[in-house]
Amino acid sequence: MSASSPAPELVTVTFDDRTVSVPRGTGLVEAAASAGIEIPVFCYEPRLGPPLGACRMCLVEIEGMPKLQAGCTLTVQEGMVVRTAATSAKAAEGQEATLEFILVNHPLDCPVCDKGGECPLQDLTFRYGPGRTRMSFSKLTLDKPIPVSPLIALDRERCILCYRCTRFSEEVAEDGLLVARNRGARTEIATFEDEPYRSPFSGNVIELCPVGALTSTLYRFEARPWEIQDVPTVCTACPVGCNVSATIREGKVKRILSRNHPEIDRGWLCDKGRFTYPHLRAEDRITAPLRRGRKGLEEVSWDEALDLAEALLREARGSIVTALSGSETTELAYALARLLRGGLDAHSALLPEATSSALDAFRLPLSAIASAELVVVLGDDPVVERAPIVDLWLKEARRRGAEVVVYSPSGTVPTPPGGGAAVCAELAAGRSALARRLRASERAVLVWSGPGGGGGARLAELAHALGFEDRPGCGAFHLPATPNGKGVALAWAAAADGEEVEVEHVKLLVVSGDDAAASPDVRALAERADAVLVVTMFHGLAGGWADLVLPATGALERDGTAMNLEGRVQRLRRAVPPPCPDELVWLSQLSARFGIDLPPHAAGVYAELAAHLFRDLPLEAIGLRAPLPARQPYEAPPPPAAVPAAPAPAPAADEHFVGELRLLRYRPLFSGPAVERVPELGFQRPPRELELAPRDAERRGIATGDPVLARSNGTSVELRARVNGRLVPGVARIADEHAGELHATIEVTALALRGAVREADE
Amino acid sequence: MNALAEEIRKLSGQYPERRSAILPALRLAQERHGGWLPPEALREVADALELTPAVCLSVASFYDQLHLEPPGRHLVEVCTNVSCALTGAQQVVEAFERELGTPAGTTSVDGAFTLGTVECLGGCGWATVVAIDNRHRLRVRAEDVPEIVEELRAGDA
Amino acid sequence: MPEYPQLVFAGTDGGAVLSLAEYEARGGLTALRKARAMEPDAVIAELEASGLRGRGGAFFPTGRKWAFVPKPDQLAKPHYLVVNADESEPGTFKDREIILRVPFRFLEGCLIAAHAISSQHVFVYIRGEYEREFEVLRDALDQLRRGGHLGGVTVVLHRGAGAYICGEETALLESLEGKRGQPRTKPPFPAVAGLYAAPTAVNNVESITTVTCVLELGGAEYAKLGTPGSSGTRVFSLSGNVANPGNYELPHGISLRELIYDVGGGVPGGRELKAVIPGGSSTPILTAADIDTPLDFDSLVQAGSSIGSAGVIVIDDRCCLVQLGIRVSQFYEHESCGKCTPCRVGTRWLTQILQKIEDGRASQADLDLLLSVCDRILGKCLCPLGDSDAIAVASYVAKFRDEFQAHVDLGRCPFGGVSSLEGILAPAALHGRHTHAPEVARA
Ligand SMILES: Cc1cc2nc3c(=O)[nH]c(=O)nc-3n(C[C@H](O)[C@H](O)[C@H](O)COP(=O)(O)O)c2cc1C
Ligand code: SF4
Ligand code: FES
Repeated sequence: MSASSPAPELVTVTFDDRTVSVPRGTGLVEAAASAGIEIPVFCYEPRLGPPLGACRMCLVEIEGMPKLQAGCTLTVQEGMVVRTAATSAKAAEGQEATLEFILVNHPLDCPVCDKGGECPLQDLTFRYGPGRTRMSFSKLTLDKPIPVSPLIALDRERCILCYRCTRFSEEVAEDGLLVARNRGARTEIATFEDEPYRSPFSGNVIELCPVGALTSTLYRFEARPWEIQDVPTVCTACPVGCNVSATIREGKVKRILSRNHPEIDRGWLCDKGRFTYPHLRAEDRITAPLRRGRKGLEEVSWDEALDLAEALLREARGSIVTALSGSETTELAYALARLLRGGLDAHSALLPEATSSALDAFRLPLSAIASAELVVVLGDDPVVERAPIVDLWLKEARRRGAEVVVYSPSGTVPTPPGGGAAVCAELAAGRSALARRLRASERAVLVWSGPGGGGGARLAELAHALGFEDRPGCGAFHLPATPNGKGVALAWAAAADGEEVEVEHVKLLVVSGDDAAASPDVRALAERADAVLVVTMFHGLAGGWADLVLPATGALERDGTAMNLEGRVQRLRRAVPPPCPDELVWLSQLSARFGIDLPPHAAGVYAELAAHLFRDLPLEAIGLRAPLPARQPYEAPPPPAAVPAAPAPAPAADEHFVGELRLLRYRPLFSGPAVERVPELGFQRPPRELELAPRDAERRGIATGDPVLARSNGTSVELRARVNGRLVPGVARIADEHAGELHATIEVTALALRGAVREADE
Repeated sequence: MNALAEEIRKLSGQYPERRSAILPALRLAQERHGGWLPPEALREVADALELTPAVCLSVASFYDQLHLEPPGRHLVEVCTNVSCALTGAQQVVEAFERELGTPAGTTSVDGAFTLGTVECLGGCGWATVVAIDNRHRLRVRAEDVPEIVEELRAGDA
Repeated sequence: MPEYPQLVFAGTDGGAVLSLAEYEARGGLTALRKARAMEPDAVIAELEASGLRGRGGAFFPTGRKWAFVPKPDQLAKPHYLVVNADESEPGTFKDREIILRVPFRFLEGCLIAAHAISSQHVFVYIRGEYEREFEVLRDALDQLRRGGHLGGVTVVLHRGAGAYICGEETALLESLEGKRGQPRTKPPFPAVAGLYAAPTAVNNVESITTVTCVLELGGAEYAKLGTPGSSGTRVFSLSGNVANPGNYELPHGISLRELIYDVGGGVPGGRELKAVIPGGSSTPILTAADIDTPLDFDSLVQAGSSIGSAGVIVIDDRCCLVQLGIRVSQFYEHESCGKCTPCRVGTRWLTQILQKIEDGRASQADLDLLLSVCDRILGKCLCPLGDSDAIAVASYVAKFRDEFQAHVDLGRCPFGGVSSLEGILAPAALHGRHTHAPEVARA
């Protein structure tokens, strides 16, 4: 990554009969591949850290070395002559030996194995393996399949002990939850006791497993590889925008796999992106328009629905407010804007949090984080909850020796909620040692993870103060709350010009998408609106408040584009047909009634908006792995609306004083309408838990696991306490979905204790 | 428990990296928990060393001297590797099976003894070597076994 | 029994020297003072001159190993000396006696070695089963500390927990780092990237103890002992069917006959000598015909075996070699770390085939299969453990083919239940008695 890195020195190596020149330090496996020669592997997976040399599938003969060598463990040396099974009888014998040993205990149940047809073991056995088995003894018989979690099943008999899954757990996710236990022939993969493998990244071990030992409980027996096709698209479960492919059979999504964009996701996915697809077939999925009738919502025909929509819009002209979701495609947002703003002058909208354009000057690929030497993370939210893959990039940076400083309520520098902006200002002023290192570094990265901060504007100002524009290895990222907030905001802005006017009397509230439909602010506004039109996927989000409901499509059912947190425009492709018409189809019909001419498909809409937003970048140019747009010249962002209040001081360190705690809400990764509709993801959702610092716990006589009551005038919730040694004092952290109506400051008391006191009183 | 955590932290002070203390820590936890490592013992070690219980299980299950099932009050381990075997280890094993009334690889019903056969204890020249509660008895012959068991039973009473 | 020069055990009169005062009274710590007055490179030169080679089994020149360790100015990381006191090779029990009888000479060697590689940190990895040995070392170390002899070097006694593989140097380092004791791929070699990826020298207890002797005598003097290729004395562990088993410090090059008969008092009970395993269970077996083989590195290689860890196991004519094969293979199966495929699977498979032969259920094809599986393990594993099983078993077949053949032809064990290894039990977790089919391992 670093611009200052010199051109690598080349060495010349011979594989079988071909000679290639590759950079010094290249692995033998990669070098051979560049010569078009395969060195077969099982355990070798460079993304999992240094080579293991365990499976011995990669044995090759190297001139001058008496013994066969594990090719995966070696790097090229000048003049090296390597012979693979293709030209070395010895190597061929070695590989056959390895396969024979692997198959000695393998059940050979390929016909009933999910991996069958796409199994490296099957393929390599076919190409390098022994014809018959010489093993006449009882194979190791082991329990199978056992649940590693509600999402993953483990078949120990199929396991070939390549240690890919355990290395992922230890070296990549760094969760240390999936391990090998016992020794020798009795070694097996396991978790502790019967605790589930509960990691936001657990699903990756399924893709890593070279055999059918680790399989998805959602996919098991769902399809055979020759009956499926894969559709390349991008994940819109968070702003990272991992590149995925959806496996389709008979018009249904059967699984989500990584498509490895080396700059974005490096082939990893989080479990939200991988396992939420079943929400497309949720019971309460809406497939037809609904209108409010005497008996609540009733299905109506599309003609009626569009007539009603038209009527509502004409009726409310001039007093319409639109609420958009950050999970819309840019095209859908643009189409809505063309109708509402262009056709009806409805310029006022509730837009999702958008990343400040000032950050375009400090753009980097996410992969640059891994090679950074210094990373500073600011903001109230744990990175993993906002943009999980970024958390993996940060971990890799740390493993590679980078200094990672986290200013957050539970960071390496415990910082009170809302303290991020102040830290930015301090660092910009540049007196501290850290500020000096940031100024000097050629490979420094800033990350804003949380609300506030002007969508990264404060971060941009800091980067500017540090002079990052002039250092190509330095950059800054904002982790927004929604997948495409920036794209939606840009589209809304670009669709028409016209002043946003404050609407006192809201005649019609148009709510587009599930994020908006689920948002408390939007619900609050709906209270004030005469009528509400909701576009959503689920009854659960429509019931009660909507006068007209139009069915929404899911991300896997859509074409279009989305802009990820790097500012990269990526392409969504329709993987399966939606159970209802695409939004763009009825939007173009509805628009026509207002004299607005809208293409009924994403490609057409994109063509229009690309002129405004993307310098006419043709859709095709985006390709399967989208390029990163160039950095833009720095433009100072608008200053903060109000000067951010200095973080309230934590309660005085007086033994007896038990003050109130500041409530720190966060939106967990595993939350939202889609997650809620996948029972298998239940165990990943946040426990009903309240985190507090040891000091605050002590003062209240609270220990981890105790039931506690969180109160703020009027409302209260019961939760379990978790004492978190990393959490800054004076704060109580609760997942949004468990915090209910609690206010900004709360009282926390131990329930048991309270009971005791009451008894004493009586 | 907290005392254990304290001692473990002391142990880890000997090493440049905390995790190196895992074997001594597990050994200590095993002593405190009556000769084996129940799940809570693994949790305690994990907390003290800032590891996960799964990692502690993974390490503990690799080593023969760390027990994941409860043994009897006395652990009797007879070396049956080549040198001991050549000079009568099997007779010693069988003598113990008779005296303790429990087959090798099991714990006596009264929970007093676990009888095991183990690999080379590093006393080949002083065969047969028998480790009793991890203390080695050298040159044990089948005819010595009744006396040894006697002594152990007496010690318990 | 003739008198042999005693270096490692010098000044013990057959007993132990457990007090520092007594050790110093007998000239202890002079070598350390001498070494500390020298430049590290000069110490290494003495070792090179002495021709001392590793006593742990690989027989690698000790001086050269230390020369590979980068100098502090070449690599800024801390340097480590790790002493391998994991002694677990069947037939080997010398390091234990060294620790029990001359703990100070051993620790003195540690401090000399630390000086030679500019290390401030010594770790002694002692096998967990060595309870008493650990206590003796701890006590001796305290005395040295109190005497102020450590010179700023920290010495940590680290106890293993029962795993033969942790004797392999890279597995040992993994274990010392708090992981499962599974060997690492080399390169990188420990000298460059060992403990915590820092420069590390790993040496055996006897090697380190001998370092003290080398500095006392001077390298050149030491080199005069033993043979040109295998200088100095060696502590031989003698066990099995022999009248006087035990550890004997003898010069390299004395013959098996001298060791077993003159020193060891021969095979007891009027039995015939049938076979000898000369260097621990990992080394190829020799027959009575090889009895005049000199015990030095080159002679044993010529005889088709290896000096290994100098653990000499004497086997008389009551022993069934197939049963020996099973028991040895069971050991390697039990101790396989489970990391690499050929060792994890192959050792278990070898045991099963041998079992079948012993039970008389084997055909000619099984005998060929046995050798073929040995061949498929050999040279394909991550570390030498798997090889050891294959080498040992293959050597039994090579040297005692008729006996294996007889099992196949007769359809039963020709010893008819009276072999000295009859019914021997391996660790119960893994195996039933020979006469039963091997029990399948369960989680
Ligand atoms: C499976 C295996 C077990 C070993 N066990 C021991 C051992 O118990 N003690 C030992 O000193 N070396 C043992 N070694 C040799 C070590 O790997 C290493 O070569 C030795 O400790 C180096 O010390 P030295 O050069 O002084 O001999 C073993 C090697 C292997 C492959
Ligand atoms: S479960 Fe799969 S990935 Fe894990 S060790 Fe076994 S074969 Fe490898
Ligand atoms: S791929 Fe090289 S050892 Fe597994």
